[in-house]
Amino acid sequence: MIIKFITMNGHGIYVWFSFSIVFISCAVFYLKTRKTLRKYENDFLVDLQNLPAEEKNKALGTSKVAQQILATNSKMN
Amino acid sequence: MFKFFSSSNVYSLIQKLINFINSIFFLILIIGLTFALHLSPPDYVQGDSVRIMYVHVPAAWLALACFSSITFLSILNFIFKIRNFYFINKSIAPIGLLFTCLAIITGSLWGQPTWGTWWVWDARLTSMFVLMLFYVFYILAFKLLRKEELIIKVSSIIAIIGSINIPIIKYSVEWWTTLHQPASIKIIGSSSIHPAMLLPLLVMLLVFLLYGALIFLMKYKTEIIRIKKKNLKRL
Repeated sequence: MIIKFITMNGHGIYVWFSFSIVFISCAVFYLKTRKTLRKYENDFLVDLQNLPAEEKNKALGTSKVAQQILATNSKMN
Repeated sequence: MFKFFSSSNVYSLIQKLINFINSIFFLILIIGLTFALHLSPPDYVQGDSVRIMYVHVPAAWLALACFSSITFLSILNFIFKIRNFYFINKSIAPIGLLFTCLAIITGSLWGQPTWGTWWVWDARLTSMFVLMLFYVFYILAFKLLRKEELIIKVSSIIAIIGSINIPIIKYSVEWWTTLHQPASIKIIGSSSIHPAMLLPLLVMLLVFLLYGALIFLMKYKTEIIRIKKKNLKRL
C-alpha cells in the first residue's frame, strides 16, 4: 500500500516532484521575506536607539508603529 | 473612517492577521495535502497524475488574480494618486511572479505524462509565459528606477498593457485549438469536475490564498517599516 502510494502507478515521480517544487519554493520565499522583515525591524530599532534621548522619547510617544516594533522585538528577545 | 486606515492601525491589524494565519495555516495545509495526495480519487483517463492539479490550478488562479488586482490598483493610483496602492502593488507583484512560475513548472510536469511533452507553444502556455514576462518587467521597474513618480507611471503602464493578456489566458482554450483542456470549473453554469475532486481543490486554493496573504502582509509590513525608518527623525 505504501509503495503504491509512493509510485502512484508510475505517476509518482511527476506528482511528488510537483509538490516538492511548490513546497520548497514557497518555504524559501517565506524565509527570505521573514528575514527581510526582521532586518528592517532591527535596522529601525538601531536607528531609534541612535537618536538623542529627547527625540527618541518623542518618537516613541508619537508613533504607535515604533512602539509596536519595540514591543515585538522585546518579546523575541 | 480614514483614521482607521492610518499606518499605525494598519500595522497593528497586520500583526494580528499574521498571527491568525500562522495559527491555522498548518492545519489547513495538512488537511489539503491529505485530500490531494491520498483521499481524492485518481482520474479515469489521467490516473494519479491528476493530483498535480491541486497545486497547478490554485497557483494559476492566484497568478491571474494577483495581476488583475495590480492592474485595478494601478488604474486607481494613476487617477487618484493614493500612495498606499503603490506599496500594496509592490508587495503583491513578487507573490504573483512566484505563483506564475509554479503554475508553469507544475503544468509542464503534468504535461509530460498527459500529453507526452514538457512544453508546447500553444495559446494557453504561451500566454502564461507572457504573463510571467509582464511580472518580471513590473518588478524590474521597482528595482531599476529611482524616482517614485516615474516608477508609478512605468509600472502602471506595464500593468495596464499586461492586463490585455488576462482575458487572452482565460479564453485561449476556447478561442484556439490547444493541447490544454478547457475550464472544468465555471462560476456561471455547471462544472464538469466531480465533487470528490472539487473539495480538495478548494481546500488547496484556501492554502494558497492563506500563504499569499501571509507573504503579502509580511511584505507590506516591511514597506511600512521602511517608510517609518525614512521618516524617523520627523516622527
